[in-house]
Amino acid sequence: MSVHRSALAVYAVVLVVAFCGILLALFAYHGPDESSGRDYINRGVGDTGAVNLVSAIYLNYRLYDTLFEILVFSVAVLGVRFYLTDQRASDVVESVPESHVVRRSADLLFPLILIFAVYLVVFGHLSPGGGFSGGAVAGSGLLLCSVALGAGVVARRFHERVLERLEWTALLAILLLALLPLLAGRPALYDLLPRGTPGRVASGGSILLYNLLIGFKVFVGTWVIIHFFIRHRGEI
Amino acid sequence: MGAINGVTVSIVLFGIGLLGLIFRRDLVIKLLALGLVNSSTILCLVSLNVRRGGAVPILRGPDIRHVVDPLPQALVLSAIVINFAILALALVFVMLLVERYHTTDSRRIEHEIDSEGSS
Amino acid sequence: MTQTALLLLLPVVAALTLCQRRRLIAVIGMGVFSLLLSAVYLLAAAPDVAVAEAAIGSALVTVIYVLAIRKTGRLVVVGCEVPGLLGREGKRVVGLEHDVLEGFARELGLDLYVQFVPRESIEPALLRGEADIAAGGLVKGDSAQELCTTPVHLPTAKFRIVMRKGAKPLAEFGGSRGYLSDIVEAVRHKQPLDVTLDLARFMTVSRQDLTGYEVERLPEESAYTFLVNPNRADLVSKLGAFLGKMQEKGELEAFIRRHMS
Repeated sequence: MSVHRSALAVYAVVLVVAFCGILLALFAYHGPDESSGRDYINRGVGDTGAVNLVSAIYLNYRLYDTLFEILVFSVAVLGVRFYLTDQRASDVVESVPESHVVRRSADLLFPLILIFAVYLVVFGHLSPGGGFSGGAVAGSGLLLCSVALGAGVVARRFHERVLERLEWTALLAILLLALLPLLAGRPALYDLLPRGTPGRVASGGSILLYNLLIGFKVFVGTWVIIHFFIRHRGEI
Repeated sequence: MGAINGVTVSIVLFGIGLLGLIFRRDLVIKLLALGLVNSSTILCLVSLNVRRGGAVPILRGPDIRHVVDPLPQALVLSAIVINFAILALALVFVMLLVERYHTTDSRRIEHEIDSEGSS
Repeated sequence: MTQTALLLLLPVVAALTLCQRRRLIAVIGMGVFSLLLSAVYLLAAAPDVAVAEAAIGSALVTVIYVLAIRKTGRLVVVGCEVPGLLGREGKRVVGLEHDVLEGFARELGLDLYVQFVPRESIEPALLRGEADIAAGGLVKGDSAQELCTTPVHLPTAKFRIVMRKGAKPLAEFGGSRGYLSDIVEAVRHKQPLDVTLDLARFMTVSRQDLTGYEVERLPEESAYTFLVNPNRADLVSKLGAFLGKMQEKGELEAFIRRHMS
């Protein structure tokens, strides 16, 4: 039986190495392909008014894909919430109040992190960032807070019910925003807001709105995941 | 592009992750290897069109000749955050399994499930 | 240049991380890997991706992994195998003491984990702190003084099986002193024997043919007990209270009838 196993292991290694070797041979000397992104680079700013081409692509040209990604995110968070609801940690580790140093530095750092996250979200169409990055940074800031103060304390200050309702409202708002142009006689996912001068905050059409909504959604989603994990397994 | 670029390294990482996924028995390490495979795919997509002196795809001035392709970056940006949520869900299942069978060894868990199913 | 160096470092870190034995080191290694990857993205002119990867890969993913690999609360029991009290049936553990301990663990909100060892390894394991409670037909007065014993739960009797007085004690039979199966084997092969057994073990042995042996019931009273790790003295009172409650409710009688009849 173990001979059989080690033969299988050898087969597996050989297969994986051969697969990677073939891929390497195919791609190793492939030069940069000029054609695929040129269109976006040439016409991006004119079409969307956003200076950050990456934002322009996934919030304007490819908004459809982003909507479904948001949906996947929501369902994953919902799944975590569902499966960890009834299970309470029976051996809950008592949350030891963190040392003074940690709490002080969390006091200092948390506002900075939040400001950075808001900057990433609001200026997402002008500089690197966007809703996803900003939401993730805000989530990790809240994680710092919960490590320093205790997740129970943070959760109590945050009014979970209100947060849950806001999260689903944000999702609904994103979907409605995407469907709104239908009322104005335009195709769905069309950008209704004005383009504005590229380089100013008030530009890029509804990219800013999407960034705000997505940032909020990702922030609340990551906090929910972390909170449910901590509730299930004990404090960090 | 030189021989050592993002695409080649991502293929090597893919192979390492795949081997780790197959040969490590611990469920948590399997998930880590899966995350590695994810990261390697994203690295490949991001570095498909990189060349020396490429500029960030955020247009400051009128010079747009050297700007790197923004399309793959846009595709993977949301993927990174979504992968985190999906990884969290996968970890929830692993945690529930571990709590049920008191081991993270995948072979033992399969054993227990088999014997539970047969008895 | 820096990009090449970082790119070369990536597979090294990844391979080292995935080969780790300890899960915590692997998780931290993947956090380091994410940071390196984020630097590579930055050098590849993808700052949005770099920010997202840094925020997610280093902070959030590491935290949920650390939470996931934390051990859940367990009540570790070490015991020797005695059919009727603590025995194995295939993969499951059955027996009177197992039922009692399972109820106790459920009351504490922990999971029960039973480990089977030879009789003589029980006390060292308990003293080393590898287990919380010891079970398996342990008779009061038989063990070292520094271990705590719980209030007795099942009166038993001692039996002595003799074939030839002064015969070799079991230790010289080539098996360890602990295993009940050695005694059963010896009886089956009609080997000379001089052992003192408690009730449950005697019931197991008496299923074999005992002709040629002298069986003598010793007059002294004894009882089964659990042994508790001296560091977990709080368990003694809790276990005593639990056993008292079980006796009041009559569940203990039901268990005894089920397993020892």
